[in-house]
Amino acid sequence: MRRSTTHDRGSPERALASCSPDSPPPSLHLSGIRRERWVPLLLLAPALIVLLALTVYPLLYAVRVSFRAADDEAWTLVNYARLFTDRFFAEALWHTFVYAGTAVTVEFFLGLGLAWLLDRHIRGRSLFRALLLIPMMIPPVVVGVIWRLLYNPNFGAINGTLQQWGIDTSALVWTASPRWALLSVILVDIWQWTPFMFLILLAGLQAIPQEPYEAALIDGSSAWHTFRHVTLPLLKPAILIALLLRTMDLLRIFDQIFILTQGGPGFATEVISLYIYKTAFRFFDFGYAVTMSFALLLITNLISLAFIRLIRAEEGLA
Amino acid sequence: MILWRRPWRRWVRIIEYGAIGAALVITLAPVYWMVTMSLKTEIDQFARPPRWFDFQPMLGHYYETFFIRPFGHYVMTSALVALISTALALTLGTLAAYSLARFPLRWRLHRHLAYWILSTRMFPPIVTIIPLFLMLRHLQLLDTMTALILVYTGFNLPFVVWMMRGFFQELPVELEEAALVDGDSRLGMLWRVVRPLVAPGLAATAIFCLITSWNEFLFALILTQTDASITLPVGIAGRVTQYEIKWGAMSAAGVVAMLPMLIFAMLVQRHLVRGLSLGAVKA
Repeated sequence: MRRSTTHDRGSPERALASCSPDSPPPSLHLSGIRRERWVPLLLLAPALIVLLALTVYPLLYAVRVSFRAADDEAWTLVNYARLFTDRFFAEALWHTFVYAGTAVTVEFFLGLGLAWLLDRHIRGRSLFRALLLIPMMIPPVVVGVIWRLLYNPNFGAINGTLQQWGIDTSALVWTASPRWALLSVILVDIWQWTPFMFLILLAGLQAIPQEPYEAALIDGSSAWHTFRHVTLPLLKPAILIALLLRTMDLLRIFDQIFILTQGGPGFATEVISLYIYKTAFRFFDFGYAVTMSFALLLITNLISLAFIRLIRAEEGLA
Repeated sequence: MILWRRPWRRWVRIIEYGAIGAALVITLAPVYWMVTMSLKTEIDQFARPPRWFDFQPMLGHYYETFFIRPFGHYVMTSALVALISTALALTLGTLAAYSLARFPLRWRLHRHLAYWILSTRMFPPIVTIIPLFLMLRHLQLLDTMTALILVYTGFNLPFVVWMMRGFFQELPVELEEAALVDGDSRLGMLWRVVRPLVAPGLAATAIFCLITSWNEFLFALILTQTDASITLPVGIAGRVTQYEIKWGAMSAAGVVAMLPMLIFAMLVQRHLVRGLSLGAVKA
């Protein structure tokens, strides 16, 4: 009864099927069906249209904007030339690289250590795992609020607790000091995203089968030797994925820095996304902002291509 | 690793548990501190030495934040935008994913399309947001929830396609073939046979989309201006970057912004690795 009603309602592919002259018999399996030639495209079309409208079209539009100067209608390369002379752009890029490089390195080693610690029979392991993942799930803006509460030199919990332990904190002003501000925001990133590395690497460790370990045991390998020559090579795909995803995210960092320092003091924590944002929405120079964002896109693409090449090579070996 | 020499073993264990304990304290103390700040009076907030445990908890900041200040309204906006954009992305994305998983196209187009869709997710958001801002301004959609819903749908779509494609690929085709042989239509079969089978994956994907939309800041910061469309993160950011900050109220808002995400994360524990690695690591 119910089935026959859906029949009559008739989906598009059914209509197509009935008008095609060589429609094959109805008992078909899924691969190589002629009758349903349009179904895959019909299913895909809405998503593709939305993606074209919201990513490809804006990108093309942006290309146009990048060839216009601030208040001029003529085509020009001014914005691209400015990339090479803008000291602030170079500095913001440098901050981004320092930020991303430091954070990804520290997060990787801490995450690997934690994953190694929890990849064994430890009482309450799943509870530890769940608790260690909490920072990653907190909205980045809230992470910013949390660390402003901790870093504040007047009433912040960190300096307060250190003073309680008898440590002089008068020089410790965290994000207020041009010298330490970048390090302070990097620390926040490490706090929030080490769990990500930990999670992916733990999953990678747990996916390693038991046999190679048993073989190493029989060979009498030391713990370090086993780790170096058995665990690491087998973990490499997970490591590469984790590094790739984290690096991509770090290069676009915005939210936490916006809350913590707004790029200050001075220019000390200005990263590239923040500089682009300010250029567009405080100075309304959309052309130059878009041009800088293309530079960022180029850089992230080159880095991700390098990673993907490594990952592909790894898969080729396996 | 099993062959630790005996006398060392106990010490190694103690150091291991110590390291895990230290990691837990460093992880949780900052979050705990914000929660206490949302419950403390101003005197307790600014006390020296800091009062980690001995303070008189009260809910005044929550009342002020959500009933006197407009944060209750921001929560509604955030929730609505997240729910509608997730529903849209899920509908469009699942259909596309099914197509990519089940129908090999000519010239391996289905694989190229899948990777192209994934690559749109990899764009730094600052790249697309400026032209989107200019376009939405032209369409007079700035400062509306519609704009946010549209943008978040586009943002979540690649993720849905990629995740659901993985889930579909893991299903055996035979069930679908059987349903088609029984005379079911393709869409009817999708709804009655496939949907129940991928329901857990669908739920996990939905939760990931909700988390991303709820947490999203940059797009919302640029596309919203007034209480008509300001989301919770933008509301918090607007107050935190002022000169005089009500820390109690901000902490209360932070706790409310954070709690649903922690609950969601617990719900998708099993799919967390897969969701966060875009299906690259299957655990």
